[in-house]
Amino acid sequence: MAPSKEELERRRIVGVELERVSNVTSTDFPGHYPGEDHSWDLNDFKKRFKIDIHRANDLHYEFDLIGVDASVANAFRRILISEVPTLAIETVFVHNNTSIVQDEVLAQRLGLVPLRGDKKGFQQLRWRKKSPDEPTAEATDFNTVVMTLKVACTRNHATPATETDPSKLYFNSSVYARDLKFAPQGRQSSWFSGAGEIRPVNPDILLAKLRPGQEIDLEIHCVLGIGQDHAKFSPVATASYRLLPSIKIKQPITGGDAQKFVNCFPKGVAEIQKDKKTGEDTAVVVNPRKDTVSREVLRHDEFKGKVELGRIRDHFIFSIESTGMYNSDELFLQAVQILKKKCTDFQEKLMEC
Amino acid sequence: MQREGYVPPTAGGSGAGAGSSRPGGGYGDAPRQTSMKYLCADCGKSVTLNKADPIRCKECGFRILYKERTKRMVQFEAR
Amino acid sequence: MADHDETLPDAPEYATSNVEISDDDEPLDLSRENNAKIIMLGSATDDDSCASFQFENEDHTLGNALRWIIMKNPQVEFCGYSIPHPSETKMNMRIQTYGEITAKDALIKGLADLRDLCDVVTDKFVTERERFMSEKGRQS
Repeated sequence: MAPSKEELERRRIVGVELERVSNVTSTDFPGHYPGEDHSWDLNDFKKRFKIDIHRANDLHYEFDLIGVDASVANAFRRILISEVPTLAIETVFVHNNTSIVQDEVLAQRLGLVPLRGDKKGFQQLRWRKKSPDEPTAEATDFNTVVMTLKVACTRNHATPATETDPSKLYFNSSVYARDLKFAPQGRQSSWFSGAGEIRPVNPDILLAKLRPGQEIDLEIHCVLGIGQDHAKFSPVATASYRLLPSIKIKQPITGGDAQKFVNCFPKGVAEIQKDKKTGEDTAVVVNPRKDTVSREVLRHDEFKGKVELGRIRDHFIFSIESTGMYNSDELFLQAVQILKKKCTDFQEKLMEC
Repeated sequence: MQREGYVPPTAGGSGAGAGSSRPGGGYGDAPRQTSMKYLCADCGKSVTLNKADPIRCKECGFRILYKERTKRMVQFEAR
Repeated sequence: MADHDETLPDAPEYATSNVEISDDDEPLDLSRENNAKIIMLGSATDDDSCASFQFENEDHTLGNALRWIIMKNPQVEFCGYSIPHPSETKMNMRIQTYGEITAKDALIKGLADLRDLCDVVTDKFVTERERFMSEKGRQS
């Protein structure tokens, strides 16, 4: 017994009412509706599942995941934030630091600098420590990347006496991320060579300011880690999703009310069109994607019962902003692979026992 | 660039401690420095002071002096 | 540099065994080794149709996704998961079947289904990315 069209539509939408949300939990399980199947079917999933890319920049991907449950979309999001490994500065050996930035503050700042390098080279790297409670392994060229930061500030005697700009008065008055120099160890010089050298993603990050006579001289060790351990290892600035909004007009909204209706939404969500039959100004929804679901329409009595707001349960608008070590699309594929690896590993372990 | 490393005081080491009848190591075994280097807070010049010297910059007479930063390497976690 | 600076020693034997750089598009796979840890907590029935499992180093990421896909199995009566204490990285999962399969079988099937799902997502994403890029290339 197949459910009616109206019933399917009802199940598809999470209701957004004035003071409450309705129909929030998924019901697509066997046994929930008498006479309906809902059991896992890979072919059926292949048919229904859709990806729709809207924006594809190296650092920002926006795409729709259609036909998955929130638990799966959320798993991808959580893995992106906290389980995709990246390289970050972990230990700072301060040989000299006479700048006004304290050693520990400088070290913390350095830790947050996103790094990049040859992606194939990263495949050669291994964990230095797997979890915080494990003893740290010995540093080798397979698990540690060394960088140095050695900057000293001096006076520029060629400037006129009237000059007041520190960047002209002194050499190296500011220390930037670009001053971090990669010091390849062992085989690293072949893994990360030329354009694939390990370097900060953004060379213009200000690390410290110096005045003549001050100097910073550091040796820096970078290791692989995951966002779960520290946010500096997180490969994304944000990875988030929202459900596609749905706006349904139950009764025609015409005349002066139509303009008011359009004004209740962000630009481009609704517009006024001439009704084909009556020739009256009528409000129509043209792009619910742009809506923020502010629920402004529900505050006005003239729209009571005429409009229904909601969100589509299985339509996720995913947005991934990378910090630069990997491109956003690579990150998503990695996240899927990590979830897959979890499954494979546990399956193997269960088969053994 | 040579930096002074930390040398733990040992009773068996060379120097005063080795043949000394005083038991154990400690502060007494370390080579006693008679002068300390400071930095003037006003003119920035390096000032060498002995134990009984007045705390005063020899160049400008300023009475606030800073200790120099340690020459030892210090390790920090970037967290 | 002073003599007490850290110098990196050569990698131990095990690390050097895999030095060739692979050409495939596989993402970073650090732990080729399997560190997954799972134990079966006592089963209350004789026929193994009910069981609880404890996953180590797992959280809502795997827990909720796995719960959903196990609940999609018509032979499973109940599946739920919990994280008993927030400062222990453990995730417990309870599975009860109607008796035709064991709880362990249901878990294995769930893991396999979730893996298939991941493959479909990867395939669809890769083809859609190609389509989008070629379309974008044609426009410009």
